[in-house]
Amino acid sequence: MQPEQHGNKSGKKCEEFGPRWTLFTAGELDAAEVAEMNEHVLHCANCNATLAQENALLALLSSNRREPDAALLGGCRASLEDALDQEEERGWLRRAVSTWMPGSWISPAPAWSAALLLVIGFSVGILGAKVVRHSIAPNSASQFGTSNSASTLTGATTPADAGNSSLSPLDLHTADVAGINVFPSSNNQPPQVELQLRARQPITVQGTVNDDEVKRVLIFFLDNSQRFDPDVRMNAVELLRIRNNDADVRAALCQTVHTDHNAAVRLKALEALDGAEPQDIIQQTLLDALVDDQNPGVRVEAINALREMAAKGQVESDGHMLAVLRDRMQKDPSTYIRLQSAAAIRDLGPRQKF
Amino acid sequence: MSVAFEGDARAAATVKLAEEQALVRSAQAGDRLAFEELVRRFDREVLRLALNLVKRPEDARDIYQESFLRVYRNLHRFRFECSFYTWLYRIVTNVALDHLRRRTSRREDQAPVPEEAEGGTRDFFDRQPEMRAAANPERNLLGQELGEHIATALERLSPRERMVFEMKHYQGLKLRAIGDMLGTSEETVKNSLFRATRKLRASLDGMR
Repeated sequence: MQPEQHGNKSGKKCEEFGPRWTLFTAGELDAAEVAEMNEHVLHCANCNATLAQENALLALLSSNRREPDAALLGGCRASLEDALDQEEERGWLRRAVSTWMPGSWISPAPAWSAALLLVIGFSVGILGAKVVRHSIAPNSASQFGTSNSASTLTGATTPADAGNSSLSPLDLHTADVAGINVFPSSNNQPPQVELQLRARQPITVQGTVNDDEVKRVLIFFLDNSQRFDPDVRMNAVELLRIRNNDADVRAALCQTVHTDHNAAVRLKALEALDGAEPQDIIQQTLLDALVDDQNPGVRVEAINALREMAAKGQVESDGHMLAVLRDRMQKDPSTYIRLQSAAAIRDLGPRQKF
Repeated sequence: MSVAFEGDARAAATVKLAEEQALVRSAQAGDRLAFEELVRRFDREVLRLALNLVKRPEDARDIYQESFLRVYRNLHRFRFECSFYTWLYRIVTNVALDHLRRRTSRREDQAPVPEEAEGGTRDFFDRQPEMRAAANPERNLLGQELGEHIATALERLSPRERMVFEMKHYQGLKLRAIGDMLGTSEETVKNSLFRATRKLRASLDGMR
């Protein structure tokens, strides 16, 4: 058969069909066009080859497709739930701010709103400058409260190695946190920490996390989670992490995992326990989190940490642990955790029947 | 019989749409469980799209999370002027395009190009000697090289071309719907599809 190379019955030239083969394979042509091209391709070897190439290209690309597996999807869902928890916590603040933001009231009366903004701007400019002149010097000194004059202005600067003479229990129990500054040290030394507190008078506690006074204040932040912001508690966990083998620190981190009302703080505390000993206490904390924590992100971290410990041979496989894992394998709402629990059982008790 | 089947399918689609709208309204009213149900209806497709656009699971996870967080933050602005699916995909495609553009610009900033600067681009396989030596079974090697060759071909597409190709051929969307999601005309999307196909054909010529 002599292939028709330049036209078909309707007089169409092959060149006209050229780009339309892409639309043909993409299913973007109407029925009449599809019929016309099907008819044409029966008689035109060139177009037949072009169509075959288009199909081969798509087949080749399809061979390299990736499907998300259950673990990835489960991990994504767990992370999203955690992020949504945090978003909800921030939500009330955003709503409050948006109520007062200009965007919500400028549009109904733009001219009056602009005038009001100008008045507010001038007022802040004139009055604010006076206020700042009176107060900025002491405050800025307290931010960098390392000099003698700073300590006198702020009331008390408490170097941690000077003992706990100026930070009384009463101060600690009434203090708010004004800021936590961390200054990295060289030579693998722990970072310098500066804890700025507002008590009866401003107090600054300085030192490294190896200093007991710094440790005491950081643990106090964790033990009183209702009083301090999640950011403060997150910083405290992060700083205490390098002392996770200290009995007080370990107890505070375990307590945080059990009781802190913020999932992100609980998650960070779990991470901070990595490498701590004795392992039976850590193991029990992980199991508690796996069973009790409402947040799937924390439970994911717990099962991951358990599996890591198991891989290092640090887990004692007892009946209680296997019972917990079996329970999670059957009941946890997260697919990822169910799968990981099953894998952990397989790792730890290959001869167990479940 | 086929008429009855089409009627059933239409009724099922209507019920599904009504359910979806009820879920959106509940989520807009602050019902977290309703929002999570919406996520579960669409998130596998979103993750598949992200994974095939960026390949690295951690990048796909970032796109997934950023997309659904934006949906959560902006759900009160959804006015049912289009389907929730279209609105969701507008957000997902924006996030994914941003991600691809950032990656492209990072690569351009960092990529050393000594061989090309001296003229003549080395063959793709010439740049992979260690990997070829490290692989053992021949079939795995071929599969790996094929996958890398395809990945390289896809990297040559612009972010928008890549997105259009993916959404057309693997999400099964119409060009008009893709245009709606990307905020552009059907004609522009069509041209992107043509360019993508032409580039892929040129890059993968000889592999088929």
